[in-house]
Order: sequence, then C-alpha cells, then structure tokens
Amino acid sequence: MSFFRTLAAKFGERYRRMSIQMVLSLSFTAVAAAGMLLMSVSLIWRFSSASEQLVAENSRRVLAQANLNLDSYLRRMMRISDTVYYRSIKNMDLAEGDLTAPLGLLYEENRDDLVSLAVFDGEGGLVAAVPLSAVKGDAAPVESDWFQAASRSMENLHFSTPHVQNIFDDPDYPYRWVVSLSRHVQLTRDGSTEGGVLLVDMSFNGIEQVCRDVTLEGGGYLYLIDKDGELIYHPRQQLIYAGLLEENNREAASYRDGSRLERFRGQSRQVTVKTVGYTGWKLVGVAPAGSWLASSPQPMLFGLTLLLFSIFLMAFLNFLISARISDPILRLERSIRELDKGLANVEIEEGGCYEVQRLSHAVASMVSTMRHLMDDIIRQEGQKRRSELEVLQSQINPHFLYNTLDSVIWMTESGQQKEAILMVTSLARLFRIALSKGKSIIPLRDELEHARHYMNIQQIRFKNKFVTRIEARPGTEELYTLKLIIQPILENAVYHGCASAEDDGVIRVTAYREGEDLLIDVEDNGLGMRPELAASLLDEDGPQVRTGGSGIGVRNVHQRISLTFGEGYGLSIFSEPDEGTLVRLRLPALSREEANRCQEGEVL
Amino acid sequence: MKTGKSGLIQGGILAALGLAALLSLVIPQLLRERKDPQLLSLSVLLRDSDSSGWAIARQGMEQAADELGAELRFLTLAEAGDSGEQEAVLLREIDGGAAALVVVPADPGALSAALEQWRLICPAVTLESPMEGAAGTVAPDNALLGRQLAQALLEDWDEGEVLLLDTAGSCTGISGRLEAAEAVLTEAGLPVRRAGELPEGARWVMAFESAATLRTAERREAEGRDFALYGVGAATAVTAQLERGNIAAMAAWSDYAAGYLAVRRAVGAARGEEGTATALPFSVLRKEDIYAPENQKLLFPVMSSSGR
Repeated sequence: MSFFRTLAAKFGERYRRMSIQMVLSLSFTAVAAAGMLLMSVSLIWRFSSASEQLVAENSRRVLAQANLNLDSYLRRMMRISDTVYYRSIKNMDLAEGDLTAPLGLLYEENRDDLVSLAVFDGEGGLVAAVPLSAVKGDAAPVESDWFQAASRSMENLHFSTPHVQNIFDDPDYPYRWVVSLSRHVQLTRDGSTEGGVLLVDMSFNGIEQVCRDVTLEGGGYLYLIDKDGELIYHPRQQLIYAGLLEENNREAASYRDGSRLERFRGQSRQVTVKTVGYTGWKLVGVAPAGSWLASSPQPMLFGLTLLLFSIFLMAFLNFLISARISDPILRLERSIRELDKGLANVEIEEGGCYEVQRLSHAVASMVSTMRHLMDDIIRQEGQKRRSELEVLQSQINPHFLYNTLDSVIWMTESGQQKEAILMVTSLARLFRIALSKGKSIIPLRDELEHARHYMNIQQIRFKNKFVTRIEARPGTEELYTLKLIIQPILENAVYHGCASAEDDGVIRVTAYREGEDLLIDVEDNGLGMRPELAASLLDEDGPQVRTGGSGIGVRNVHQRISLTFGEGYGLSIFSEPDEGTLVRLRLPALSREEANRCQEGEVL
Repeated sequence: MKTGKSGLIQGGILAALGLAALLSLVIPQLLRERKDPQLLSLSVLLRDSDSSGWAIARQGMEQAADELGAELRFLTLAEAGDSGEQEAVLLREIDGGAAALVVVPADPGALSAALEQWRLICPAVTLESPMEGAAGTVAPDNALLGRQLAQALLEDWDEGEVLLLDTAGSCTGISGRLEAAEAVLTEAGLPVRRAGELPEGARWVMAFESAATLRTAERREAEGRDFALYGVGAATAVTAQLERGNIAAMAAWSDYAAGYLAVRRAVGAARGEEGTATALPFSVLRKEDIYAPENQKLLFPVMSSSGR
C-alpha cells in the first residue's frame, strides 16, 4: 500500500515538473497506445478464436475423410471375412471338401492387403490357411487374443491391435505386423456343426497407407487407437515403441468425438476425435496450438509492426498537436518573463488556439493597463517631487527677509543711507533671481550672482568682517544649476564659520567642471568642525541644522539636489576644527536643453 | 530548458518506437532464415563390410535425418574391422564436407587419434563403443550387458567349460561386454576360455556382437551341433535364430532407437549443441519372450517394410 502511495507521490512530483506539452503528448500517446493495444489484443483473440474454429473444422473434415477411407478399408476386410464365411465355410462340409482353394482365391485377389487367411477349429487346430499352411510347433492359437475375442463374443467381428503374426511357420521369418480380424464361425464336419474361428490377417501396410499421408494444420498429424487407447497407427510409432517419444493416447481413448484443447508435455494442442464405426477405434487428429495462434510468427509480427507503426504515427501527431497547443503558451510565458525582467518593448503575441488567444489578449490588455498606470505613477512622482522642491524653496523667504529688512530699517534710522540703498538693491536682485519666473533651474551665472548679492547684504550686516571671492572657471559659463543652492551654504559659512571668528574671514565660491559634472566649492577659513559632525550634517536621521539666516539647512540643499538629479549628486562636507570648512556641491553639467527638459520634469 | 528536455524525451520515444517497428519488420526475415537451416550432410560409417545387420538402425537414422534436416551417406568397409581403412574413409568424408560423423569404430583408440585435429570441424558420434573425444556415444551399458548375459548363462549352466568368443579386436565396446561376462563367470567358479573361433565340443558359448552371434547360431544349425549360445543382437536374423532355438538367450535393444539417437546427437553436435553419452536400455530375451508385446515393439520395427 505504501509502495503505491510512494509511487503516486513520485508520479505527482514528476507530473508537476512536466511541461504542458509533455503532459499532453505523453497522456495522449499513452491513451492511444493503450487503446490500440486493447484493440490488437481483441483482434488477435478474435482471430485466434476464428482460426481455432477453422482448424477444428479442418481437422474434423480431414478426420471424416480418413474415417471414410479407413471404414471403407475395414469394410472390405469384413467383406472378405463374410465372403469366406458365407460363401465357403457355410457351404462346405470339411469332411468332404477343403477350404484351402477358396481361401487361396480370395487371398490372391486381395494379397496386397492380406497377410494370411486361416480357419481354426474350436480347439485351435488349423483347418485351412493361405498362403502358409503350417503352424509353428509351439504356436498356441487358442491363447491368442484374436482367438479368445472371437470365442467370447460370437456374433461380432473383432479387430486386434497391431502385432507380429507368429502362428505360421515361415522359413523366412518375416515377422510381419498385422491387424487380425477374427470371428466365430460354424464349421460343418460330417454333417455336424462345430465352432471355429476365421482369421483374416490384414497387413499393417493397409492401415498405414490410409493414415500415413493425412496431415493437419500447422504440422498436425493423425493417429489411430483402439478403444483402450492402444496405438494402432502413429506416424512416429516406432519412436513411441522405442520409448523416445510419448503420446497422449491413453487419455485420448476417453475423449468423445469432437474437438477439444489439451495440454500434453507442456504443449497446448487441439485434439479432434472421430470414432471409427463398428471397431470402436478412434482416429485422433492433433493440431498444435501454434497452428491457429500463429501458424507462423510472420502474421503476428506483421501485426506487431502495424501496431508499433500506428503508435509511432500517433505519438508523432500527438507531439505535433501538443506542440501547437503549448508553444503559444510557452511564448506567452516567455514574454511575461521578459516583462518581469523589466524589458520595455515586449510584444505579447496573440497566437494559438482560441483559449490561448483569449489568454494572450487578456495578458496584453493587462500589460497595457499596467504601463498606463506606471506612467501615471511616474508622472505623479514627478509632480510630487516638484511640490517638495517648491516647499523646500519656499522655506527661504520669511527669516532672511525679516533679518534683512530689519537691517535696512536700522541703517536708515542711523543715517547709513548708502549702505541701506545697496542692501535694498541687493535684496531686490536677490528676489528677482530667486523668483526666476518660477523656474527651479537657472543659469549658473545667475546663481553666482544671487550668491554675490546675498553676500553683499551679509557683509553690510556683519560690517565687512569677512571678504567674499566668487569665481566661475572657464567651461562653466553656459551651464545651468538648481537655484538657491549656494546661498544656504554661504549662510552657514557666515554664521558658523566667520561670524564668531576672531580673524577676518574669507569665503570662496568656486564653480568648475569635472567631466560631466559641475562642482561648486564653498570654502571658508572659519572655525571649522570635527569631521564626524561634518558627516552628520547630511544624515537624514540627525538633528536639523538651522542657521540664524535664511533658515535653509545644508541638508535641505543636499535633499533638493538628490531629489532632482539622483543619488550620485549632492553635497560633500570636508572640515577640520580651526581649519575652516569646504562644502562641495556636485551637480550634472546641464546645458540649456537639458535644463529645459529637467525643468519639464523628465528624469535625466 | 524544459522545452529542450521534453523535445529530447519525445525524440527518444519516437526513435524507440520507430526502431521497434523497424525491428519487427526485420525479425521475421531473420526467423525465416533460422527456420530453414542448411541441410546437414552426415556420414555413417560401420565397422562391417555388410550393412544388413544395421538395417533397423538405419531406419532410425533415416527417421532422425528426415526430422532434423540432414542427409545420410552410409558407408561400409571392404574388410570388416579394418581400422586403417575406416580412418582413411572417415578422413575422406571429412574432406568431402561431412558436417558430422556417425561411426561404429573398429578401433576407438586409433580412430580417436586420427580424428583429433578434426574434432571441432567434424564432430563424431559413436555407436557400440565409446571413443575419446567423441561428441557422444549411443550404446547399451556394455559392462552391464555382459554381466546380465553371463547371469542368463549361469541360470542354465550345469557343467562344462564356457567359451567366450573374442571377436572384439580393438573394439572396446565389445571387449567391455566380454570382460564383464568373464568376470561374472569366473567369480561364479565356471571354467572360462576365450577363443577367436568356435572350437569343436564346446557346450557353452558366449558371443558379444551381433555378427558373431549370427554366425555362430548359423553354424550351430548348419552343423547340427549342440551347444547353448548366448549372444547379442537386435537384427531380425538374430531374433529368428533365437526363435529357432539356436540361441539360448540374447541381449537385445532397439537398434531403431540407437540409430535415431546417434543421428540426433550428430546433428546436435554439428549445430554446436552439447551432448553426453546415451545408455540404451536392453533386455536379455529367451525364445519364449519374443512375442511379448513390449519385445515385439523392441525387436520388430513397425514399418511398411517390416520384417524384410
């Protein structure tokens, strides 16, 4: 039981790993082969059955003919016996006549079939015999089977089994095999009757000739037995007598007339029995089973060839059909796998049969919908990013504006009108650039200009405690940059670098190109900071560093650059305590066209 | 990957089916060729100059040859028991393309040496006497036969010397019978003498081969001598002598079976089949036993030409 369970589990496992084409083709082929096999077995069975009947019919016909011949032969012998009895013995008084002459005449007429004709009296004494007339000295006819059978049943004629005739003294000692036909006769001697036995020794040749050339289907043969199963004739009789062969003759004696199957010495065979009238002998026809199952293996093998070829064709067709069914599914699966890998231009082929077409169509439709949805998501993401940028940019205004205006008020009240005008002018320029008609990406020169104005304001506010040097190196003139990214860094340099430093501060802004990138270094010689602190300034999880100026943190700038151009861009801070700080901004070197595209929300 | 594997499996199945269909077309042709094996040519060489004593054996041989697809050539010697001639004739037969030999060896030792190099090409099966290197021997158990024949004599013996006719020459099968009989008789205390010819005055005579038995019986009848002859033989002529009272008892076997088995073994050997010696069953018969049904079957083959 567990074996079958294991087998079923293994089959299930294998089935799950099989391709659909394999499952289809193997299943169809197995079913077709089983059907064909069943049909073939059925046909063979029907063919065998019909052949068996034909063989039986043929055996019956052959046996009927052999029986007719044998019957005719035996009747002829019986007629000879009748002739001797009714024409000679009954009409003759042995005291007056001799039977030898009439016996001799009959013998001469039938010498091919007869070995001897003899009449014995009731004591076994020889009355007359031809062709030999002397009985062997030690012969005892009374003890012979044929004599005793005739004496026992006086009304009948008796046929013996084949034996070597040993009654008559023949100087040649020919030892002839005969079948003795004996009957009880009434002998007349001196007017009185007495019992006697008439013996007709038929040559065994006669019976042999009747049976010898009879053949049955498939190397079958015929043999003759008496009612006890004793062999009378067999085509290989001497081999049986010599013990080199066996025959099922004893068993066959019990068979009724007709055909039957028997198994003898490991061989199946069809036996047909026909009883020879009067004698009780039986003609037995034997046809080996092979004669109807396969008289020769050729037809069976030809049938096998047809079967195998049919299965071959069926398998071939199944493989083709299953491939036609499964190939579109496989192609569809392949397309989906490519989609899964992220390939954009994948064609969903809508081929194959109706169901597969529908499936492909549904998948194609689903992919199309997914693409639209993904486009929407990308667009929405872009919008969201822009919104975030705008929010970040909007953080600049309130603090810085308040401080600057406060300084202007203070300068105006204190009569520093020239400085106040410069500050207001710079503030106006600052806002004009900051607005930039709503654009987030502006020329680098505008951004540097914006930084310059900012520093003008701060220098006034901090009473020229530091100097600012802004430089754009060659190759950067036509480049574009995200706006308002330098000013927050400068703000940090002012408040954390230079404002509380004792010496005069120097703040340098340098824009230059490095490969495909635009780098803007903002460097001060202020207080500096520990490298760990410098590193933590950009950490999203760290505390927000705000300045006392515009309120835009360094992290804000870093996030804006990263959001706009990707993870590879942004800020790097290099600082040492009392050494100053270098903040490096890395951006893509944008041309006008690229800046425009970026402005429109495309990802570079 | 999976599709490739499936393709391979399907290709394999198709190839196997195609091959099986092809084989089923080819096999019948092979079977037909095997079914019709070539007719084998067998030579049968006796050690006698006259084959009449082997008539029944010949019938058995012909039956076997007919069944097994062989043709037979029967050969006799110009002079009975001439082993030199027998060797020469056999070598000539081998040269002539005989597939196998059935031999009644005149001198098994000499013949074995002569056939030594031809053993694989042309196997030989012997009748009557075993021979070294033979593919088989079909004969009664010679020693047992000699002993049982001696026992038959012992049952009748009253007095007098027993003459053992030594006609074996170099024929080991015959001498085996003689020696076994001699041993039994000697052990029983009977005076025993070997002789090549039948002497005058012998009362008890034993012959150990068919021809010698027949000759001695015929002499007994022709010369009207009175001795008890114990012989061997399965030929009808010997049986007739038994019936006429010229032989007191004889060891007989089915010559038909001997011939049949010898040819069957020879055909088997020619076709490369292994085989062994076959001991033929025999009976020691007296006159009154001849017509017992079983003995009739043993002594007189059922043939259309039976008795002739």
